This record gives sequence, C-alpha cells and structure tokens, in this order.
Amino acid sequence: MRLRVLLSLLSATLLVLLVPPLLSSESSAGTGTNIPGLRFMVPNTPGGGYDITARTAARAAEDAGLTGSIEVFNLPGAGGTVGLSSLVSDHGNGRVAMSMGLGVVGAVHTNQTSSTLADTTPIARITQESDIVVVPADSRYQSFEELLADWQANPGSLPVGGGSSPGGPDHLAPMLMAQAAGIDPRSVNYVSYDGGGELLASVLGGQVAFGVSGVGEYRDQIEAGELRVLAVTGPERVDGVDAPTLTELGVDVEFTNWRGIVAPPGLTDAERERLINLVTELHESPEWQEALEVNGWTDAFVTGDDFGDFLAAEDERVDGILRELGL
Amino acid sequence: MNDTTTNTGTGPGLRERLRGRSELGVCVLLFALGLLVLGDVLTMNTDFAQRGPVGPKTVPTVVGIALLVVAVLLAVDVLRGGRGQAEGGEDVDLDRSGDWRTVGLLVGVFLANAALIQPLGFPISGALLFWGSAYALGSRAYDRDPLIAAGLSVVTFFVFDTLLGTPLPGGPLMEVL
Amino acid sequence: MDSLNSLIEGFGTALTPTHLLWAAVGVLLGTAIGVLPGIGPAMALALLLPVTYALDPTAAFIMFASIYYGGMFGGSTTSILLNTPGETAAVVAAIEGHPMARAGRGSQALAAAAIGHFTGGMIGTILLVALAPFVAELAVDIGAADYFAIMVLAFIAVTSVLGSSRIRGFASLLIGLTIGLVGLDRLTGQQRLTFGTLELADGIDVVIVAVGLFAIGEALYVALYLRRGTQEPIPVGRPWLGREDLRRTWKPWLRGPLIGFPFGAVPAGGAEIPTFLSYVTEKRLSKHKDEFGKGAIEGVAGPESTASASASGTISAMLTLGLPTTATTAVMLAAFQTYGIQPGPLLFERESSLVWALIASLFVGLVMLLALNLPLAPLWAKLLRIPRQYLYAGILFFAAVGAYAVSSQPLDLVILLVIGLVGLLMRRFGLPVLPAVLGVILGPSAELQLRRALQISDGSLSGLVNSPFAVTVYVVVGLIVLWPLLRRLLLRRERERTPVA
Repeated sequence: MRLRVLLSLLSATLLVLLVPPLLSSESSAGTGTNIPGLRFMVPNTPGGGYDITARTAARAAEDAGLTGSIEVFNLPGAGGTVGLSSLVSDHGNGRVAMSMGLGVVGAVHTNQTSSTLADTTPIARITQESDIVVVPADSRYQSFEELLADWQANPGSLPVGGGSSPGGPDHLAPMLMAQAAGIDPRSVNYVSYDGGGELLASVLGGQVAFGVSGVGEYRDQIEAGELRVLAVTGPERVDGVDAPTLTELGVDVEFTNWRGIVAPPGLTDAERERLINLVTELHESPEWQEALEVNGWTDAFVTGDDFGDFLAAEDERVDGILRELGL
Repeated sequence: MNDTTTNTGTGPGLRERLRGRSELGVCVLLFALGLLVLGDVLTMNTDFAQRGPVGPKTVPTVVGIALLVVAVLLAVDVLRGGRGQAEGGEDVDLDRSGDWRTVGLLVGVFLANAALIQPLGFPISGALLFWGSAYALGSRAYDRDPLIAAGLSVVTFFVFDTLLGTPLPGGPLMEVL
Repeated sequence: MDSLNSLIEGFGTALTPTHLLWAAVGVLLGTAIGVLPGIGPAMALALLLPVTYALDPTAAFIMFASIYYGGMFGGSTTSILLNTPGETAAVVAAIEGHPMARAGRGSQALAAAAIGHFTGGMIGTILLVALAPFVAELAVDIGAADYFAIMVLAFIAVTSVLGSSRIRGFASLLIGLTIGLVGLDRLTGQQRLTFGTLELADGIDVVIVAVGLFAIGEALYVALYLRRGTQEPIPVGRPWLGREDLRRTWKPWLRGPLIGFPFGAVPAGGAEIPTFLSYVTEKRLSKHKDEFGKGAIEGVAGPESTASASASGTISAMLTLGLPTTATTAVMLAAFQTYGIQPGPLLFERESSLVWALIASLFVGLVMLLALNLPLAPLWAKLLRIPRQYLYAGILFFAAVGAYAVSSQPLDLVILLVIGLVGLLMRRFGLPVLPAVLGVILGPSAELQLRRALQISDGSLSGLVNSPFAVTVYVVVGLIVLWPLLRRLLLRRERERTPVA
C-alpha cells in the first residue's frame, strides 16, 4: 500500500514536471534575425486593432522565414496599460515585445499609471491610419465647411460619435479639431461607442451628427455610398476617399492613429539591435508589404531613437489636450 | 419518548436563533457595501465636462442609497422573524451544521493555485488544485488521486497550450529541457 | 428567388467532403469548448484563429460558424447538469434545467435544450436568408433611447425572478449592480470602485461573475453541507421526450426565435437579455406556472431556442453590415480581415459564393449538432455519477483554467474566488443568485444607454422618448406594471355583479 502511494506520487510528479516541456519542444538556435522563444504581447482583447496588427506581423515574419514561431498572447485591460505595466516590470527581457499604438498613450494619462511608455525600449512605429470625419449619405451636411459652421455656432447640439473611450484616438481627433477651429474642447459633445462597429450603426442611423473614426473600417460603406466623408485628418489625402485634408480646409490639425512595437526596459544594445533588425527585415519582406496592402494600412516605418522621440512628442500632445479637458 | 421530543425541540430552536442572528451579518455587510459605494462617489473627481442630469456619480449614488435601505429593511425583516430559505440541493444536507473547515481548505487550495500558477507552472499548480480539492472534499485515495490530478492537469495543459495555442505557464523545466 | 438559387449553390459548396469535415470538426470543438466553464464561443474562436490560418477562407468560416453554434449547444450542458453555466448565455438554462436534472430528468432537459437550439438556429438562419436587408435597417435605426427602453422592460422582468422573498431578491440585484459599477466609467473615464488597481479598470468580466457565483459558489456551498455516506445515484432517465413534454415545449421552441433573432441583430443586443426575457415570457404564458423554479421544461426550451436564434441574428448583422454585435462576431470579423475580406454592404456581391456556402453550412452544422447532442444527452447526464469529490474538484479546476486562460492574470483567480464566496454566503442565507447576475448584465448597459441618450439630446430628457420604438416599449412597460391593478378592478366589478346574479 505504502509502495503504491509512493509510486503514484512519484509518477504524478514526473508527469507534471517532464511532459509539458516535451510537449512544446520549440528550441532552435538564435542566428541572424531568429530570436528563439520570442513572445509578442497584445495589450487588448482578441480581434482588436493591436491584436490584428500583432498576429499579422507574427505570421508575416514566420512566413518570410525570419524567425521561428512567435507566440502571440493577449494581456488585455485598461486601454493597454495593464499590458504596459507588465512589460515594464519584465526588465531586461529581450524575448518579449508589445504591440501598441496611440490609444495606449492616451490610456496612460487617463488611468494615471505609474509605468509609462517612456519606461519602455522603443523598437518601431510600423503603420499609421488617417481618421475621417464622416456623415451618413442622407445627412444635410454636404461639406466640412457647413458642418464646421454649425459646430462652431452650437457645439453642444452636434453630438460627435467616436469608437474609443475618452483619451482614445477617436476622442482626441475631434478635440484637436475643435481646438484648432476655435471651439472650447470642453463644450464638444463627444459620445463614446464600443468600437467602430457600434459607432457605424449610430452614424448610419443618424443618432450622432457626425462620426470620427479610422478610415480602414469604413472603406466598404464609403464605396457603397452609404457614408459621406467630409474630411480626412492625416497630412495627405487618402486613396479612394474623395475628401480634403483638414489642413486644406484651413483647420490646422494633422492627426493619424499609428501602431508600433515597444520592448521592456533595460535591454542590452545587442538585444535592442536584434529586435530592431528583425522588425526592419520584416518591413522589407514581400510578405509584410502584401499584408499592408490587403489590410489597407499605410506604411509608417520609423525605428529606435527616432520612434522614441516621436513617442515623446505624441505624449506631450495628448497630455496637453487631456489636461485641458480635465481628464 | 418525552425526552426525545424535548431534545429535538431545543436543537433546531437554538440553531434557528443562531441563524437569525447570523443573518443580521448579511445586513451589516450590505450596509457596509452601501457605505463603500457612497464613499467612492464622494472621492470621485468631478473636473470634467458633464452633459445632462445623469453623470458618473448618479447611478452609484442611487445604488449606494438603495443598499443602505435594503440593509435596514432586511434587518427589520430578520428581527420580525423572517429568514432566508437556505438553498437545497441533491448533494446538500442541510441537517448537518456547516462544515467551514472544508470550505476553508478549498479556499486555501484555490488561493495556492493562484499564487503558484506563475512560478511553478500550470501543470503543477493545477494538479495540486484538483488533488487538494478532492482531499478537502473527503477523498483519501492516495494511490490514485495524485495520478488522476496529474493526468487531468497535463491533458488540459496539452489541449490549451499546444492544441489551442493559449499559453499557460509550463513550469520550471520549460527552459531547461 | 435569386437568393434561393445562391443558397442551393452554397449547399453545393458546403456539402463537399472537405467542408463537411471542417464543419464536423467545428461542431465537435464548439460543443466541447462550450461545456468548459468560462470559455464561451468568442474565446473559443479567438483561440482557434491561428489554427485556421492553414485553411482556405471558406473552410475556415464554415468551421467558425460551426464552433459558434456548437458553443451555444455545449454551454447549456453544464448549466443544466451541474448548475454551473459555462457562459452568460447559458445562465437562464440553469434555472429550470438544473431542478429537472436533480429530479432525474436531466436527459429530457438536455434534449429540450438541444432541440431548442436546433429549432432556434434553423428558424434564425431562415430569417437570416429572408430578412437580411430588413435586419440591416433595423440594426441601424435602434438608438440609445430605444436600448434604454428595453433595459427598463428587462428590469421590470427581473422582479418576476426575485424569488419568494422580495427583499432578499432586491439585495441580490443590488449586489450585482454594485459589481457592475466597478471599472472606468465608459463615458467620462472616471474610476469607480477600482481602488486604484489597473486590473479592475475594465470592470469585472460578467463571465467571471457568472462562473464565480454559480460554479464556485455552488461547489463551496456543497462543500459546506456535503452529504456524507452513500448516495443514491440520480437516475439518468429516459432520453426521449414524452408526449406531454413535447406538448409543452413546441410552442416555446417556436417563440424563442421571435425574441432572440432581433436582439442578436442589433448592436448591444447580445444573447443574455433575450434568453432572460424569453424565460419570463414562458413563465407568464405557461399553464404550469407552479412548476416554474422546480423544473418546468418550458423554461429550458424557450430560452435555449432564443440563444441560438440570437446567434443567427448576430451573424446576419455581421454579414450584411459588417457590424460586430457580440464579442464572438468581433473575432469573426477580425478573421475575415486577416483573409483580406471586408464584411459589409458589399460582401454579398463580392464574396457571394463564400457567404452562401457559409449560410448553407450553418444549416448543415445545425443538423450535425442535433445528431451529435441528442444521443449524447443521456451520456452527459451520466456526468452526475462521477463521485462527488472528483466532480466538484473538477468544477473548481476547470473554472480556474477558464478564468486564467482568458486573461493570464492570477488576480482574476482571486476575484473569481471572492465572488464564489459571495455566492456561497448568498446561498447560505437564502439570497437568490440569479438577480445578481442579471444586475451585472443589465446595470452597466442600462446606465450607458441612458447617459448616451441624454448626451445625444444634449441633456434634455425628451431624448429618452423621441422615437416611436421607445414610446411603444414604455407603453408595454406601463401595461405590465398596471396590469395587476387593472385586474383587481375588473375582479371587483365581477364580484359586485355576482351577488346580483
């Protein structure tokens, strides 16, 4: 009896200790761009923007033969700041990176987190996307000037819909627009929706006067003539969208929602170089270029310190507008 | 004959009175919850643009006040002799007095799992969770339970981590082997 | 006629051996994953996303749709047998299903649920084919004020499940509403009851609450009063529904889609509120009101049919509008995008063959699911024969796996346990658990829609009643509230008349 108990305990211990490592035997040498055991964190839920970017990038890197399998995992929460603080606490780990974007910059401010993006090692900005000012086809606003005139006259009566919570990209864009057009941002009637899908329904149904969201999600509706784009917020016009930029319209705002990759703090120069090298090779691969085209993303490749400077500038801009709003 | 009736009479009677009193604890908890919610409302920052009569404080205020009112009403109900009917069930024997030791063991095992899942990995913490729970619930088959627990844990790990691609922590030997 | 031809073509694609195989795989996986607590269809799809990269888009989407429906089928199984719903859409199934299982009618409850899912899914998918353009309009026209009106109706309906003691039911509801308050305020970003923890900023996931209150709470409660000694095994029962059962279930099966489909098709509709409304409706319409709460088969048949029909509505909104109305379709949309396909108004034109193959495979998948789940019902019911200590250890184990797999955060396990202890105390002191779960589901959406409606109208209260839909709902609410009063008046008049006669 005693023996059977001992045997049972022993085999149970062996089972839990030895079998799992044997099951996932993915070890290969770290040569060239290959970083064995590289993990890619997504700080929001499956199906969200950073998730799609991360999974597409991981797949392209694998298909291009740059690296072994990259494990993509989700650590959602508080607009990406839960993932961010976990990344920052993973000091010196050169085998993890995080997919992020402008939304995380805003979330750091609204959640007043102790870990900020300045604590991370910036790797690269990879894509950007212009926001659009959009109304349903049957809206009375034919041009941005008409909309702006009404908006300036009575900001409260024109609800603006956006697909992000306060501090997120769709919230920042109309606030910056208002500021540039001489409207007090605090008087802007911003209605937050749970993502672009819910926003789409309320724009189409005329619940809000106009919507502000990324151009990518609405290409089909624009093409089908259900939505009318009055302006794009980026520095240049967008292919396939017949609308001027805000700057052309005399509103001095340039705003794009961008996505990028950061790594934990405390990396050695070699580890940092290796990650930047991998992303650079990925950027040049035909697999990634094809993915950009399929998803309608605009290439916005900036690496290392340049990306770090960009992060700092964005942080300052977001801080300014949110401070004014009292968030 | 007479003796037995008095005995069975006082037993539940005492317990009844105890139960009545312990239910007042629920009222205290509800009242405390109400105070917590209202306290949170008071400390909320209000420097932001609010539109319309309903702001971020309105609903918590209503819920907090309602909690206080319900706590008081429930206390009145309990003092008047009303009491909640404990839920029955197939595996539940309400004639027994509550076995808080088992509950405490289960809570401990569950918390141990939460604490160990990252340092020791899921296969180990999961197996301990299953075995510990079965032990707490009265299973004493030492020659069988560890194997069942380890098997279940490793199969689950395999299904989630390897088949489904949801990473679960594998354990200390992941890097070594 | 046109769509009928396309549908027949779609069947041509769906019935090829490879696609049938993927549908079968999806159906099996979906059922299996649905059975696990805490892992709903959305999570299952997200998990399997990378697995399907190797497939061609048609096969992948056939598999996705099968998983979605399969998850709906599987979700109610543990709910009925163990009183531990694995996901929120299956919470209602536990109310009547579990008492049935305890009375040895587990097989019948499972069969009623399976046929309910089949009927609901079938009718829902037919509605999808027939009403797609109409659905698109409906989804767009429903605004915040309308949602709030529906929430008010749902809150009125909650009063009918408060249990024998109203005050305890209200206490439970308030506990749920309090849990629902936790997190950042969605409209202004204010922290509420987060105590400065980042992990609480998104609030407590309703799945964690449902699994905590039901599964963990039940396991701990059983531990507190575990019946020692030999137990009579619960008889598994005959797997077939008798004539009496069928007579009582066919109407709820058919009524379910009427409630479920429209809810699924509108944003913020989901499956929780319609299943609950279906339950209350069946309770009101049933001739066996006294059996409700003790195992009335109508209370399983109606809500389960509703749940699957809402899934069809959801798919309909996704295909016609590119609108993700639930987390599950959000993941499916993401999957479409990784294949370079943009769901939306042009999808039916551009990807006609894929869409119709997908719709055809929904029908195929439903038939498979019924064929799989009906014979499985008595087998599942045997789960109850597992020795108690292993059964409840297993429930704790899988609840922990589900909670951890979703977020990879040990803190979620602690939250799950705390909510489980709340569930234990509620059971111990006779507070019903259901109102608390409904509070967590309804509270945040009701607040959000109310404030959104008021914001759109720039603070004017008229914004709540500015649509015919909302006004209609309020009239219905008024009638329901006033009905007991009216009836009393009518009865009194009746009585006054009787002596004369």
